Amino acid sequence: MKYPKYQYRSETSMRHYEFISEGPKGLIKKIVEFSETGTENVYNLGFSDYDENTKTTSDSAVTNNGDSLKVLATVASTVYAFTQKNPKAWILATGSTNVRTRLYRMGITNNLAEISEDFSVFGLNSNGEWDKFLVGEDYEAFLLTKKENIL
Amino acid sequence: MTIEELNKSKVPIIVFDKKLEELKGKVLFPEKLKRANEILAKAGLPKGAVKK
Repeated sequence: MKYPKYQYRSETSMRHYEFISEGPKGLIKKIVEFSETGTENVYNLGFSDYDENTKTTSDSAVTNNGDSLKVLATVASTVYAFTQKNPKAWILATGSTNVRTRLYRMGITNNLAEISEDFSVFGLNSNGEWDKFLVGEDYEAFLLTKKENIL
Repeated sequence: MTIEELNKSKVPIIVFDKKLEELKGKVLFPEKLKRANEILAKAGLPKGAVKK
C-alpha cells in the first residue's frame, strides 16, 4: 500500500488481526475479523475498536485519532494476509452506519490503484445488485476477491 | 525471499500472538455477519463473474 500502515498481530488461523492506532487520543486497540458467512468461500470483514478487558468491540465508534488513512491501509493489508492463506475467498464488508460505509469507500478509493492490481472490487448499488466498484459512487456494501477467482 | 523483498511485499511480516488464540472460532461482529448473510441471500455474488 502506498500509505504507511501499522504492524499487526494475528492468531494462527489468521481470521483475527489486532493493531494499535496511535494519535492525539492515545493508543487505541483495533481488531479486524474475517468470519465465515453461509455462502461458501465468502467471509464477512468486521473491524472496530477493541476493548481487551471487556472483550467487546465498538463497531459504531468514530475514534478520530487522526490516522484514518493509516488505519484503513492496515485493514487493507490484512486482506492481503487473509487472502494469501485463503486464495479463493471473497470478502464482504458493510458499514454499521453511513459514516462507516463512507469510511470503507474512502479506504478502497484511496488504495484502489494498488488493490486493483490483485483484486476485483464490487459495490452493492441501491438496487441491491453488485456493480464493479467505481470511484465516487455510493454503495451499501463492498465485495472483493482475487482476480484469478473472476471470469 | 530476502529481507528487502519481504519489506517491499504487500503482505507485511505477520506476527503471531498467543493471546489472540482465544479469539479463534469466535464471531465478534454477529450483527454485521447477519447483515452480510442477508445481502448474500438477496444479491448472491456478482452475476457472470464467478468461476465455477
